[in-house]
Amino acid sequence: MNSDRFALTIDEYLAEKDVMFYLEDAITQLLEHKEEYVQFGVSRYLAEYFNSVRHGSHVLFREFGYIKATPHNRASFIRIFWKCYRQIGKNGVLLSTLEYSSLLQLICPDFPVEVAQGAARMVLLDDALDCPMTFADFLHALQIQLYFEEFIESITVIYQDLLSGKSPNTVIVPTSTSVEQLPPLATSETAAQEGVDASAFQDAVEAACERYKHSHPPAPAVGEILQQDERVTLYGFLTALAKHEGISKEIGSLPSRADLLIDPEMDQELERLIAQISVSPTSSCSQAAAQRDSGRKASPRKSLHHRKRIEMESDGSTEETDSSEN
Amino acid sequence: MAEKRRSGVSMAEPKIAKADSEEEFLSQLGVAALLRGSLLKLVEARPEDPIGFLADHFANLASGSEAADCGDAEPSRTVQDRLSQALWNLNLAHHSQRSAFNNNVRVAYELLMTGGQHLCPGGGVRGRIYTELLRSLCTEAGLSSSTSAPLLRRIQCQDHEAVPFELFRQGVLICTVFADYVRKSQSLYLAVCGGSEVPAQRALCQAALGALRDALDTTQCADTARYLEASAKIAPCTLAQAMVSAQSSYEAQAGASMDPEEFEKEAVALFTARIQPVS
Repeated sequence: MNSDRFALTIDEYLAEKDVMFYLEDAITQLLEHKEEYVQFGVSRYLAEYFNSVRHGSHVLFREFGYIKATPHNRASFIRIFWKCYRQIGKNGVLLSTLEYSSLLQLICPDFPVEVAQGAARMVLLDDALDCPMTFADFLHALQIQLYFEEFIESITVIYQDLLSGKSPNTVIVPTSTSVEQLPPLATSETAAQEGVDASAFQDAVEAACERYKHSHPPAPAVGEILQQDERVTLYGFLTALAKHEGISKEIGSLPSRADLLIDPEMDQELERLIAQISVSPTSSCSQAAAQRDSGRKASPRKSLHHRKRIEMESDGSTEETDSSEN
Repeated sequence: MAEKRRSGVSMAEPKIAKADSEEEFLSQLGVAALLRGSLLKLVEARPEDPIGFLADHFANLASGSEAADCGDAEPSRTVQDRLSQALWNLNLAHHSQRSAFNNNVRVAYELLMTGGQHLCPGGGVRGRIYTELLRSLCTEAGLSSSTSAPLLRRIQCQDHEAVPFELFRQGVLICTVFADYVRKSQSLYLAVCGGSEVPAQRALCQAALGALRDALDTTQCADTARYLEASAKIAPCTLAQAMVSAQSSYEAQAGASMDPEEFEKEAVALFTARIQPVS
């Protein structure tokens, strides 16, 4: 957003950053946790709420519906996922889809397995889905899967239409079906391995981009990927999206791949987070904490409150460290 | 709103009374008035980052009410708070967004006017607070005190004076424009250097400063024509000509140079000399 904001109507201005959505959620949360939040005063509560939205820590332990609700929430969630489990990548551990899914559910209790599977399909090119993956690969695929979910759904339809010889220019009804209903595609695709004509696919994808005002990858990046080969498969395309540095930069949640695992500041931040989240401060390995926590799903809620209170009681020094990382 | 109702229902389906008590709860806390006031502030200022704005705004409110709870133990602290709130308001919009900027100046003015129990008899902001605000504006813009001191001497007021709004607005505007001017002159120096580490040639610097002075001296005609004439005088081609002729002069051959500090000082002097001293 730039100085054009002065030319917008009030509603457009507020809609641009989902201001009303956050205000409503703040009040909903206030009502659900009256006693706890009111003791510090409503303004202090709202200040804390919006401050956490600003720094992206607001999505931790929230329901998946909330995480999906705004682009900022999706990007924040990816960042938190990266921050929490970066250690895994550092140790070079390869994990399976289900293991990643459990990790996701530790920070978002109702995180759908299907979304993790969608990301895994991207990494593994829709093949041998039980294969373990590196953290960086999975993280980048998840980023695309989560951030552009609607876009991916609609290009999947386009791809299938092209594959079955239908004209992609027929009106595409945005379906609410998500990726989990796609296994039939997997079989039909192995039959037609050569994919579809890249330029026809590009035309259709660009048309789809125009329909989506916000959540689609930048058109130049799409063009760049699709002009490399004459034929393209859906997962070939999605994998290329996930690996594209420019798109990741545009979303702005993650550093470049080279810096993904190097960040001493983040190590301290991680220590701090773990110390706050886990009841026993002795655990320094996130995996150990993860395994211990997986037994009791109800606990994140409680520890969130615990965390909130710590933040409220502190004299703002934590806020300073928060802002320094941005 | 749908969101709110849904979660309310899912929590306590059988109790219809719940919704009433929630509304009561919110009205008891004065949430509606709080949100209305905040939204009005938000759409008035139209900051680039509305979420951050709301976070700061609520933090301001909270620290304000917490300070009120503590009583008047530390009046100087609350003046400081008001000053930082005023500064925060002033930084919301660039001065080229004139109507938004003016709005924010007004908000800052009213903040400072009500600040503390010592209201001026004539109304208006106290001179001491006004001067303090201008100094902080310059410091926040990254100007060194030696750069901004000559300007501040010209536009500051006596501590006991009451500053009317128009003067306040002018002072704030001058400081923000000045900060932009200094930044521009710094990049002008870098351009004269040509990106090298070596200090720029004195002759070239003087040619650039001369062109700048000429442009600032354009005062004869009406406003619009003046802007056009002034911008013609510092247009790249005019500047280039001046610098070409300077380079062939005697001084250029002597190889004297000018360091960035001196250039900035000269440029600042050009600006400051054209500000009418207050009082």
